[in-house]
Amino acid sequence: MLREFTCIICPNGCEIQAQLENGVLTSMTGHTCPKGEAYVRQELTDPRRNIATSVRVQGGELPLASVRLTNPIPKDRIFDAMAEIRGISLKAPVEAGTVVIAQILGYESDVIVTKSVALRG
Amino acid sequence: MENLYDVLVIGGGMIGSAVARELSRYDLRIGVLEKNLDVCYETSGRNSAVVHGGFAYDTGSLKARLCVEGNRMMGDLAKELDFPFLRCGKVLVGNTKEDMETLKRTMEQGEANGAVGLELIDEERLHELVPAVVGKFAMFSSRSGILDPFQYTIALAENACENGVEYFFDSEVTGIGRDEEGNYHLATTQGEFACRWVVNAAGLGCKTISDMLGIEGYRVIGSKGDYIILDKRTGPLLPMPVYPVPSNTYMGIHVTNTIDGNVTIGPNADMVSDFRYYGVPQENMDYLAESASQLWPHIHKADYIRNYSGILPKWVDEQGVIQDFKIEIRDELAPRAVNLVGIESPGLTAAVPIARYAIEQMKEREELRENPAFNPCRKGIVRFESLSTEEQEKLIRENPDYGEVICRCEKVTRAELLQAIHNPLGVSTLVGIKYRTRSMMGRCQGGYCQMRLEQMIEEELGKKETEILYARQGSQVFFGKVREEA
Amino acid sequence: MEKRDVIIVGGGPAGLAAAVQLHKKGVANILILEREHHLGGILRQCIHDGFGLSRFQTALSGPEYAARFIEEVKRCEIPYQTDTTVLEISPEKVVTAASREGLVQYQAKAVILTMGCRERTRGALGIPGERPAGVFTAGVVQAYMNLYNRMPAKEVVILGSGDIGMIMARRLTLEGAHVQAVFEVQPIPSGLPRNIEQCLNDYGIPLYLSHTVTQIHGDSRLTGVTVSQVDEKLRPIPGTEKEYACDTLILSVGLIPENELSIDAGVQLDGRTRGALVDEHYQTSVEGIFAAGNVLHVHDLVDFVSMEAERLADAAALYVTGETLADCPLGIRTDENVGHTIPQRVSGKADFQLSLRVRRMMKDCRVVVRQNGQEVAAKRMKKALPAEMIQFVVRADKLVSQENLEVSVEC
Repeated sequence: MLREFTCIICPNGCEIQAQLENGVLTSMTGHTCPKGEAYVRQELTDPRRNIATSVRVQGGELPLASVRLTNPIPKDRIFDAMAEIRGISLKAPVEAGTVVIAQILGYESDVIVTKSVALRG
Repeated sequence: MENLYDVLVIGGGMIGSAVARELSRYDLRIGVLEKNLDVCYETSGRNSAVVHGGFAYDTGSLKARLCVEGNRMMGDLAKELDFPFLRCGKVLVGNTKEDMETLKRTMEQGEANGAVGLELIDEERLHELVPAVVGKFAMFSSRSGILDPFQYTIALAENACENGVEYFFDSEVTGIGRDEEGNYHLATTQGEFACRWVVNAAGLGCKTISDMLGIEGYRVIGSKGDYIILDKRTGPLLPMPVYPVPSNTYMGIHVTNTIDGNVTIGPNADMVSDFRYYGVPQENMDYLAESASQLWPHIHKADYIRNYSGILPKWVDEQGVIQDFKIEIRDELAPRAVNLVGIESPGLTAAVPIARYAIEQMKEREELRENPAFNPCRKGIVRFESLSTEEQEKLIRENPDYGEVICRCEKVTRAELLQAIHNPLGVSTLVGIKYRTRSMMGRCQGGYCQMRLEQMIEEELGKKETEILYARQGSQVFFGKVREEA
Repeated sequence: MEKRDVIIVGGGPAGLAAAVQLHKKGVANILILEREHHLGGILRQCIHDGFGLSRFQTALSGPEYAARFIEEVKRCEIPYQTDTTVLEISPEKVVTAASREGLVQYQAKAVILTMGCRERTRGALGIPGERPAGVFTAGVVQAYMNLYNRMPAKEVVILGSGDIGMIMARRLTLEGAHVQAVFEVQPIPSGLPRNIEQCLNDYGIPLYLSHTVTQIHGDSRLTGVTVSQVDEKLRPIPGTEKEYACDTLILSVGLIPENELSIDAGVQLDGRTRGALVDEHYQTSVEGIFAAGNVLHVHDLVDFVSMEAERLADAAALYVTGETLADCPLGIRTDENVGHTIPQRVSGKADFQLSLRVRRMMKDCRVVVRQNGQEVAAKRMKKALPAEMIQFVVRADKLVSQENLEVSVEC
């Protein structure tokens, strides 16, 4: 059977057609780089996504610090990860790059701060 | 009775506020009951904002007389109350022989009404006055003008408030009773109020209140008009309002410059019975643009920044013919109740004369003592954008908050917003602050400033985010925080 | 009056990149004027990732992408002033700005316009109906949620398939709101395919093409919207109305370059981009005033914004050091398939980067640049989408004459 994918790895958004036989990938067309091929292989076996959200900051010049994952995690665990992140509260000052949850849900992915938040002046 | 008001005014729009302000010249305890959260949510804030010359109304009518009087005094009033008013003139543009006949009749009527500065002009003169207009000739009314209807209403209300009038918002009158001493008891959504005199200045609610007072039988219909607002870059093409030649009952779709340099087009006139529905239908927007383009061919969709509508309460007879203003005291039905019915256009121009006319009727029945402390002057918020570079510099030096521009489109500063948030009437809605400053009124419609404005309201007034209202009761902007406090 | 070689109006991705590049070229007497309290512009609220793949070969969030430039600005000690709003730019390049410290005027040799863009609003679209609370543009919702910690929505309908709208659909879903659907009036999406995939499809949010909101209901908070299907002329089809109960309508219906200051400075705009007309030096119709980024034309990716601003800075650096920039007498014409190009004029003497957007989706096509009917540059496209900005270099040595260039897309 034929399955179609829109690659999300880069803004090109290649439309990739994958030919499957009994769930096994036999051929692929439409990708313009090796990342596209890797994406489709991953999607077929274990689709993964990154998420970006915010954590509470106390005493900061901003009420929130934005965070993201360092690596994608399985798509069906996104809301579990959100629940973990929602429980986090940091104290200002907060530096970008700070790991706020290491290996979230046991995956090789940390939750890191993406925006520094200074103390409220 | 301890909590007895001398006068309670029902409705805090421009008529109610004008009545309250004019009454505060006397030694009276006055309250204003307003069902909305600010003074210009209905007809007072939803109109063409044109100060009329007084030529369009039947000679001898109150509309004619009070409009001419209101027009004459508007310049002084604007100075006293510090609201923006521009006597820019206006033209009624015609093309046909019939148009010319109508304009001649209109001019004769105007002169009989006491309107001044009316003149028939040819095409050449018309194009000198308004180069971008289409038409063969016009009637020019040099004494017509435009004002900011929000600032005008707010100025009247604030001046009343500063002279001791108490404003009660979110206070809709639900019933009126009279006790054996002849005092009125007003049941409202915020509890009961008692007074010796009551004034019905309820605008769209005038019939409801009139009925409650026992003065029954008025027929009031709503005439709903839709408008489109155009970007300020169209402003330079329109130095004064351009109207078509009027019919008997309807002024026609006109193009109006606003005091801030935008252009509005409208209104149509749809008869409505729902006085709360302000939606603008697509077909009306298309119709407005098409009609107005015949007068002024500079209407492009790319310049639309907003649309709005307003409803005029029109008192009509059994045949549906529109009647004059009704300003009365019916001693036999409701003594000490001033009943104002069908106050529509030219109510904006005539607001203060209407108030004075009403008060004259009170004075025929009761002696009113002067209030020696009355101050007719009120100061508005100084608009940073309207000043010269030197004045701006001076203002920032005196108050650094004037150096912080919060609304980029209308260049509204923190200082102006702070003054607006701490307004004398205690209004705290986003739209209330918008009306007082023009923040959120520009081409980005609050895309840049509304977050800052909202945060300032929370901080300055100690409100929670869930208490922030957009305009009306129930118009919460937020459901809470993304992340609650730990 | 203080004198500066270069005043940069706006400290977002374009302004920051221009500043850093100018500094590299030896121009030190620069000043960045930023109206907000922080540098970074709109990137500060774009917390999602996917930025930087072209510029830095790595996926970053918006704040991280901005921080790379901000750190560079600080390291190079490039002067900047935040909380400062530019009120006016004169054709003589006098820049007037207000801050709490007062009103300041600068005489600049060159002014770089990097003010970005604003969102199209409900009023600009003229959506009929009432005006309750709960109708927001996507960027406003993004700011409320990501900067101000405010939750403005629970039950959501989105009009417009712009990227910010789709990104907010995902963001709202992650925070517990329910996004019922995204409606797009055009027959094709206006945002990038990857965002349809990862922001909508991943969360089961349907995208309906050729649909639009035809009524807004509610006199206090929004209670619902009416949605209609539209015909090929984008007119609502009577009888297709469907009601959606919701408390929030989010608009992601396009961005408009923010050129009010440019107009006052006498800069001529292109009606198609609503940004300035520029030559290959990114110089506008006013000598010494340059423009890049979203104030010039709305970009799909921030990477291209920065790279465009860097090219601008190369030219502006020459200009302020007294070199004469080559005259640009050659116009660039387009066929009906091309929405616009940047630049609109070139010298014909130097290679230049051509940026353009197509007006409709086209598959297996070629973007061709011709002079005197002769092909001088081309780019093959498997699929050309209006959502994507197409860029390629046109080489001067391939040009055949001093005639205007013509850009077309051929299938």
